[in-house]
Amino acid sequence: MPLRLVAKNLFAHRLRALLTIASFAVAIFLLCVLRALVVSLDAGVRNATSNRLVVQSAVSLFVSLPESYLGKLHQVDGVEEVARVQWFGGFYQEPGNFFGQFGVDPDQFLRIFPEIRLVPDSPADALERFHSERRACLVGRKTAEKFGFKVGDTIPIIGTIFQRTDGEPWEFEVVGIYELESMVWDETTLFFPFEYLSETLDAGAATGPKGSGIFYLQLDGSIPPVSVAAATDALFENGPQRVQTTSEAEFNAQFVSMIGNVPFFVTTIGGGVLAAIVLAVLNTMLLSGREQTHTIGVLKALGFSDGTVFGVMLGQAMLLTLVGGGAGIALAIASGPGFQAFLGTMFPGYEITDGILGQAALLSVAVGLAAGLLPAWRARSMQAVEALRRVH
Amino acid sequence: MSNGIQIHGLTKAYERGGQRLVVLDELELEIAPGERAALMGPSGSGKSTLLNLIGGLDRADAGQLVVAGERVDQLDGAELAAWRAETIGFVFQGFNLIPVLTALENVMLPLLLTPLSRKLRREHALRALDLVGLTDRKSHRPSELSGGQEQRVAIARAIVTDPQVILADEPTGDLDRASADAVLALLVKLNEELHKTVLMVTHDPLAAESARRIVHMDKGQLAREEARS
Repeated sequence: MPLRLVAKNLFAHRLRALLTIASFAVAIFLLCVLRALVVSLDAGVRNATSNRLVVQSAVSLFVSLPESYLGKLHQVDGVEEVARVQWFGGFYQEPGNFFGQFGVDPDQFLRIFPEIRLVPDSPADALERFHSERRACLVGRKTAEKFGFKVGDTIPIIGTIFQRTDGEPWEFEVVGIYELESMVWDETTLFFPFEYLSETLDAGAATGPKGSGIFYLQLDGSIPPVSVAAATDALFENGPQRVQTTSEAEFNAQFVSMIGNVPFFVTTIGGGVLAAIVLAVLNTMLLSGREQTHTIGVLKALGFSDGTVFGVMLGQAMLLTLVGGGAGIALAIASGPGFQAFLGTMFPGYEITDGILGQAALLSVAVGLAAGLLPAWRARSMQAVEALRRVH
Repeated sequence: MSNGIQIHGLTKAYERGGQRLVVLDELELEIAPGERAALMGPSGSGKSTLLNLIGGLDRADAGQLVVAGERVDQLDGAELAAWRAETIGFVFQGFNLIPVLTALENVMLPLLLTPLSRKLRREHALRALDLVGLTDRKSHRPSELSGGQEQRVAIARAIVTDPQVILADEPTGDLDRASADAVLALLVKLNEELHKTVLMVTHDPLAAESARRIVHMDKGQLAREEARS
């Protein structure tokens, strides 16, 4: 019955209780979504490894480096592998169908990023074809699902930075579909052989900047990454282009910061939402507590202990936030696929993870405690006589 | 164990506007086991304060208070709550039913403090409701009952744990004459058939007439007594 009493008292004002629960559910849902956005932005930073460095132009990320640097980078002590990576920047059929495309050195790139693996049931010759065929490409699982790409399909990509002189789109043949063990990239990207781009540019069949946008270095671990980075920067100090070598995490963080301090912005909004809802629930509980002064007096007169009365009041706040939080979490889970499709281009790593759900559940408990403690303590401290006298 | 009430030198004062207001002034009183007594007196004479002290809802500043063999003035908060649940049945002027619970749930409420199973709690509560003649109203909420019916439900709640002492504070104050008579008849029945000690605070002379003994209080002290046949 105490649980029944908790529920009945909470729903004594049904509309008010339901509205508060609904607003808490919306708040938890929003917090889940905002948190998922922040997590998706930070995924690259969090999953970066310390044995990978990125070499970019010291002038700007948008300035390509000479391809000749490839050989020189191999000479740097501590470097085990080097891969060229060039941002392609095209779109599929129409500009709205955007996903990232990169020209890479297939062998080296996949060695540097073992997190990239083919989905189960991929053709046995997928990697061999990716390494050997000029127009071969690997497509991320999410992009393949979104556009229905499968192995053997030809994907026409209209170049924006790199445009073919014949006015036709670039064509890539899907030889495999990949997924990621950890979100070092994202599962929307398309990778194709760097040589296809390079040779087409050299042959004059396309226009665009020559060279490699960045180089990824994999270290052998014999020398601290900081020393390798310093040695790399020193190697090209006199040109022809100076470089800036950073850790993979720094590079990814810099990439995120290019779209503004979104994580801070989003977290601030989330904090505001949270503060507002804590106040709303607290207000509801204080009002409810005051209305239940009579009930508190009766319970105490009947012999219920101060602790039980405390529990009855706190239980109402907990019930409110747990029901609301549960509804918000359910909404976040249910809307996940829709949001992934809707936000997939800007936030390819968007996912309501177990961690986010756990945080939302903890938050629901914490708000329940925060909003329930004060009215519960007041109820506990109230003398039965005083409580009964206030009514009559 | 005696279910009487022994009061020696009981004193209670409140601070009001910086002044000490003595409500009970070294009161001496004894209510015999199984007695049915009415406390009367003008407003402010200390009747309700005395009832609250006897029921363990408030604490005296000084004096001894023995109720059903227990030194109530020496119990701490938790002990007092447990003792109250076991020993005292309250009937209030305003009924004090919990509005969100049905009549049956209200009567079952005190039984939550006992080790009884839900089934037994329900059985006990139904028996108490039957005693006050309201079995057919068990599923009604207080707002769906008349004042007299609410008070009868409150009496059922007061007796459901089989307490030794029934304390009633103006039990007929909010009732019409017919309902008041029915409530008083119930209190008489509890006293005469179930041998409960009944102590009732009242301004109503007709209610007081239902008692065997009328205690008049004034200015926190015993003014006079009337014994009735």
